[in-house]
Amino acid sequence: MFRRAFFATVLAGMLLAYVDARPVDAIPAFARQYDMQCNACHTRPPRLNRFGEQFHMMGFQIPSASRPDGLVGSLKDDGTLKTVIDSLALRVSGGLFEYSESPRETEVKFEPPDEVELFVSRAITPNFSFFVEFEYEPNATEFDRDRGYFNRGHKFGLGKEAFFMANLGGVLGALGAPTMEMGGQTMVGRHGGFTMHGPMLMAGKIDANTNFSYATNRQLILDTELEFEKEEGENQSKVHRLPIVPYAFASKFFGVFKDRREHEPQLVTDQVMYNTTGAPGADFHAMFNDVILGEVGFLRENEGFNTYGMVRYDILDRKELTFNVSALFNWGFGVVRAPDSADHERAGGQRLDRLRYGVAANARWKGLDVYGALIWDRMYGLPSELRGEFDRTAMGLTVQADYLVHENVLVSSRFDQLWAGGLKDEKLDGTVLTAQIRYYPWQNIAFFVRDSVNLRKFHEDNPLRSWRNQLFVGIDWDF
Amino acid sequence: MRTTVSWWSAAIAMVALALGIWIGAPTVTCADPNGEEHDDDKGGHVHVPAPLEYADSHAPLRIWTDPKMIARGKEIYTTTCAVCHGDAGDGKGPAGLALPLKPSSFRDRAGVAEMRDNYWFWRISEGGQVEPFKSKGSAMPPWKGTLSVEDRWAVMAYQHTFTGHQGPHVPWEHPESVAMGHDIYRMSCVGCHGAQGKGDGSVGATLSPRRAPQPRDLTSSLFKFRSTPSGQLPTTGDLVRTISEGIRSSGGPFTIGLSGYRIMPSFRHMPEEQRLELVEYVKSLNKAFWERAEIRTVEIPPRPRVTPERVARGKQLYADAECLTCHGDRGRGDGKSAPELKDDLQLPIQPTDLTRPQRFKNGRRPEDVYRTLMTGFAGTPMPSYADALEPEQAWDLVFYVLSLSQGGTK
Repeated sequence: MFRRAFFATVLAGMLLAYVDARPVDAIPAFARQYDMQCNACHTRPPRLNRFGEQFHMMGFQIPSASRPDGLVGSLKDDGTLKTVIDSLALRVSGGLFEYSESPRETEVKFEPPDEVELFVSRAITPNFSFFVEFEYEPNATEFDRDRGYFNRGHKFGLGKEAFFMANLGGVLGALGAPTMEMGGQTMVGRHGGFTMHGPMLMAGKIDANTNFSYATNRQLILDTELEFEKEEGENQSKVHRLPIVPYAFASKFFGVFKDRREHEPQLVTDQVMYNTTGAPGADFHAMFNDVILGEVGFLRENEGFNTYGMVRYDILDRKELTFNVSALFNWGFGVVRAPDSADHERAGGQRLDRLRYGVAANARWKGLDVYGALIWDRMYGLPSELRGEFDRTAMGLTVQADYLVHENVLVSSRFDQLWAGGLKDEKLDGTVLTAQIRYYPWQNIAFFVRDSVNLRKFHEDNPLRSWRNQLFVGIDWDF
Repeated sequence: MRTTVSWWSAAIAMVALALGIWIGAPTVTCADPNGEEHDDDKGGHVHVPAPLEYADSHAPLRIWTDPKMIARGKEIYTTTCAVCHGDAGDGKGPAGLALPLKPSSFRDRAGVAEMRDNYWFWRISEGGQVEPFKSKGSAMPPWKGTLSVEDRWAVMAYQHTFTGHQGPHVPWEHPESVAMGHDIYRMSCVGCHGAQGKGDGSVGATLSPRRAPQPRDLTSSLFKFRSTPSGQLPTTGDLVRTISEGIRSSGGPFTIGLSGYRIMPSFRHMPEEQRLELVEYVKSLNKAFWERAEIRTVEIPPRPRVTPERVARGKQLYADAECLTCHGDRGRGDGKSAPELKDDLQLPIQPTDLTRPQRFKNGRRPEDVYRTLMTGFAGTPMPSYADALEPEQAWDLVFYVLSLSQGGTK
């Protein structure tokens, strides 16, 4: 087993060396547009640093220095071709090699990078910008709604996010608020007194998480894929292994469904509200006096929709140390279906509301970046027949630490703890520890080796725990 | 049939809504860039930063409390200013009542506190003959031909007494005078340079860990990019140039058709007034800007024509001045001492790769390279050659350095 793993690693290394040696001659869109190094906005790609967060918050503009003539100025100065090229970026990410182990079996897989994303993004004016992500997955796992089970196939379409961002400071000015122009952007308030950047409206297909202390957008530890088993000739598939994701943002409940008609299960590790695959919605955020960030919005989720509010307080900023805390409140109206009380394999008629609340914190000191989130979920509207067999509360904790050991080497470790809810005869808690090392030969290319360990007892029939160890070798390449 | 509205429809509706709001919203402009309208009865004044040629005119700290200066100022004020600004400094002098732009009141405590010494010096020197005051109909005459520099400081010290302010009128006593710059700094600079400007922001720590370059400590006296001689602080113009151009670096991703990628962003799209406000805040972090007696800058003589002879002489100078020890014989930054070089923070520092002028931190124009040679980079092993090279020799060396990107032959 270990010999196979060793040879697999060597082979993967050779492949990496081959990839490594090829000239790329390209950098991502924003770096091109602003002629900036990746590291100016990223601790190391894709994780945003504070400057990158502000760049995002202000609608992909260098704070206080947005181009007054926007897209028209770029077209005039740079020409159409360069403007178009500078608006595009490509990201290739995923595993090159996977090794999974359980007491019963060992799986070793070689696979090409499993996700290719094309980004198109630009500021049109100082107060208006857009961001669109197209995604191609050659081997995507999706729930086949017609057949009623998970299947694999290639997928192309809009990716996680496709939205526009508009600064509404001018609208508030029109309503009588004092405004000032700051680097081309309209800002509310007066210098030396109360100031407010924004409010920014972000609408479209969004995952409004970038401002949270635990930002799940642009994660260093990529989510793994769902594994399922489908026997030849059978028309059903069975979930074999759930993905490893930040459990704090997981749906956390066993036995619930996304909708009634298609009976698609809401898997316990499905990311909801934050870290989703993107959902239609609108998000308003604003920064007050450069220390308080407020955010409200609504998002569609399954058959229902979410309303949410988030506040972040940047408490400390001195001597290479920054510290902020966030609080999240989310009410999901009819976002999942309870199981049918007579047949738990099928969705019932009752839609459940979900209360989600939680806290997160982020501390950065020199090369160290520590962030964590503790999120509670509680279901409301449960049919009375299910009350004795369904646990309505659940909790998730995710803590991650990244340390920049060297300019080109970043190590990360993440701890995930899930106190699951849902059907009592199915639910199991989960605990995972992940360690990862990323090597950046250039700022826009990372090779990573990652290992995740199931810290709980192996449980063959539960996909949350049906593994002991998973090793990945992968690539994350932006250009 | 699905009854839910597709997210496409929702997204299109939201785009339409936002565009409607955005296009329909009237543009709001403020005459006062600080966002404050002062009462005209107290004297109309417009808050604009002093232009570059006056930006370095800071009052010697002694003048604010020197009784002789204040007495001298009173004497001048009474004979030249009071007729419009009033004996009491309230902007209600007899000659000012009929003017289209009311003379400023020096009793407007909040308004005066926001003004900086270089602003007052500029206003006294140029009067209303410069924008934006000219278009507003200011009738104030320029006094630079009549009053000496010392007399202008004296008037300023006296008019300052009308508000009851005590002590020097400097930003660290009146933070409101740099409030706008401070707000810009908090938004755009604090990540790298830190809240106190000590170069210890959280972003800076990850840009190039444990090696140079690190974000500048703006409270120290070491500034790399200057037009002033070695060991001196930069001019306001130098700081504006750095903010406008950003700083390029030798690291980074692969590039395609770029002029060079920056480790510090270019703020060239920030309106010039706001760049000046930002620089005024940056200067306020360091009292030495108020304590320097005079400012000398390195003179850059007109650029001569490039000839093969000049490049050849430059090549010889490159060897004689031991440039190749750090930059290497082909200029690739791989000289024999390169691995041991450290900056003033004792961090390893890499000599610039001279074959890639698009990444020169201080600019790639021949004049920029000349300035770099004659000023050096404070805090790094790159010395100033002002005492070692004659201007003609410096140009020869500049031409050779710039020829290295073509293999040192052109």
